[in-house]
Amino acid sequence: MTKDRAASLLFLLTGIYGLFFSIQLPMGRWNEPGPGVFPITLSILLLVSGVSWFILGKRGAGEKSQEEKADWRDIINTLSTPLKIVGITALLILAFNRMGYIAASSLYIFVLLFWVSRYRVIVSILLGLSIGIGSWYFFEKVLAVQLPKGFLFL
Amino acid sequence: MDVFSNLAHGFQTALSLQNIYLCFIGCLWGTMVGVLPGIGPLAGITLLIPATFGLDATGAIIMLAGIYYGAMYGGSTTSILMNVPGESASVVTCIDGYQMTLKGRGGAALFISAWGSFVGGTLSIVGLMVLAPTLADFAMKFGPPEMFSVLLVAFVLLGSLGSGSFFRTMPMVFIGLLIGTIGMDPLTGSLRFTHNVPDLYDGIGLLPVAMGAMGVGEILIATEESLLRVIHKIKLRELLPTRDELRASWAPIFRGSGIGFIIGLLPGSAHVLSSFVSYMAEKRLAKRPEEFGSGRIEGVAGPETANNAASGSAMIPFLSLGIPTGPAPAVMMIALLIHGIAPGPLFISKHPDVFWGLIASMYIGNVMLIVLNLPLVGIFISLLRIPFRILFPVILLICLVGTYSVNSSTFELAVLLFFGILGYFIRKMKYDMAPLILAMIIGPTMELSLRQALMRSDGSFSIFWESSITMTLISVSFLLLVWNVYRGIRPTKASWEKALEESK
Repeated sequence: MTKDRAASLLFLLTGIYGLFFSIQLPMGRWNEPGPGVFPITLSILLLVSGVSWFILGKRGAGEKSQEEKADWRDIINTLSTPLKIVGITALLILAFNRMGYIAASSLYIFVLLFWVSRYRVIVSILLGLSIGIGSWYFFEKVLAVQLPKGFLFL
Repeated sequence: MDVFSNLAHGFQTALSLQNIYLCFIGCLWGTMVGVLPGIGPLAGITLLIPATFGLDATGAIIMLAGIYYGAMYGGSTTSILMNVPGESASVVTCIDGYQMTLKGRGGAALFISAWGSFVGGTLSIVGLMVLAPTLADFAMKFGPPEMFSVLLVAFVLLGSLGSGSFFRTMPMVFIGLLIGTIGMDPLTGSLRFTHNVPDLYDGIGLLPVAMGAMGVGEILIATEESLLRVIHKIKLRELLPTRDELRASWAPIFRGSGIGFIIGLLPGSAHVLSSFVSYMAEKRLAKRPEEFGSGRIEGVAGPETANNAASGSAMIPFLSLGIPTGPAPAVMMIALLIHGIAPGPLFISKHPDVFWGLIASMYIGNVMLIVLNLPLVGIFISLLRIPFRILFPVILLICLVGTYSVNSSTFELAVLLFFGILGYFIRKMKYDMAPLILAMIIGPTMELSLRQALMRSDGSFSIFWESSITMTLISVSFLLLVWNVYRGIRPTKASWEKALEESK
């Protein structure tokens, strides 16, 4: 799978999604376009782009050097850190309102520093608490941003 | 002389204690983000947008603009001292700048880079001051057909001059335009792509998209790279260039100012393109072009001047037409919209204090940056000693809080994360997110203009060729489209195109 082919899949999927849902919108007349015309036009253009890059991507695969082609082990290694960060951030978003800012952010920083940055537990805890409490003070007291309060009003 | 009396009024606004402080914060933060690889000026601006919520619009734009042109100054520091571009416009500075450092002339390179940035930035502010009001007055005559055709040209130019090929950039534009249609149609009230989610009725927020794509996405990319680098030390007395170096720099600085100013007016990666074009121009004009790449001062002076000049002129279409031609002006536009101010033809006449205050603050900011970037360069270099392993969680937290602070919405946090992931994969596939964000911002205006033009003419397309402005712009779009198709099928690329793609 070359990068162009991967991109073509994004264009195709977006185009199909856009086409499916914009067909349900009123189209108006050809010289008085309704709300569906612009999205359907863009969806068609995306489908054309997707098909074009899918074909060009296949043609390019033979010409591209070895490093451009997918090696699944390299891909997994490369993706592991970003995936960890995305997963931890998703959990933070789910817990944000329930746990409150200080608890959620301190835990978030701790997990990132310990699991992703590979700092020791003590260092991660200390930094997590300092950054969590310090950032709360800066955002809520200095910048007057309203942050969620969870249990223990933290 | 209206311009001078307006500028005097602008200085009165800019010289208030609060605005001087905000200009300083913007320049300082901009220099820092320029120095730190992994955080570009775009992420730097988006991270500080939430900090502007308690400010007035003038203060907000002064600070954010300071970050933008400050990053152009700061980006050259790591290019020259470490062969690592702090931001994309400083890529070409690595070529000769680092070679000068290896020869013990790194200080002189830093001095000339800062001096050139100052001259380029100042001259482009003069251009901005003169051209923006003139262009705004001209644009007041624009109706929906003219606005549609201007935006059409802007998008086609964006595809032509962006950092990827036309056929790579345009799908990103299409996706951005499609995302811009989410929400309630302004003319009929129909809901588009909302799937009964109330948070989507007003469309997707621009801030979570920008912060996600540019902030979170950049962090995800940066965590893949090792950031262990050799840092060369510079002493203050080594900063001064020799007479020969000063003499050799003047012409490139003035040429770079002109090149950067003109290219900055165009949509696309103007500050990157301007630095490359300037470098190639200096190489062509040099008596001994073969010496470029071995530490020629012209190879630093021209490009660094050009990218600063481009950052100033990029403000012209953004402020006077409401068309941000690059990602940084696009994000500044988001900030102004949040403050209830819409850049465009009426901006200067309705908000003269904001516009002239900004112009005056840019003069002040350029002076501040010379002071920050020369004697204090050692302090900025020490920032590079902060491990990225500690920095990136803090940046992510700032992105999350910044997004949450707008509407206290966890839905927008999910949007932030989604676009962060999308931005990451798009960068991995060697595509550019900036055209998507630009299209999201100005796409709704383009659609509205088209439909309003047709409503005005009772459905007749002849409205698009009744005006000479519209005819000219649509013809230019068509010619550019044909040119891009030709470029796509011909076998060889121009050297500037190859250089621009390699910079990614």
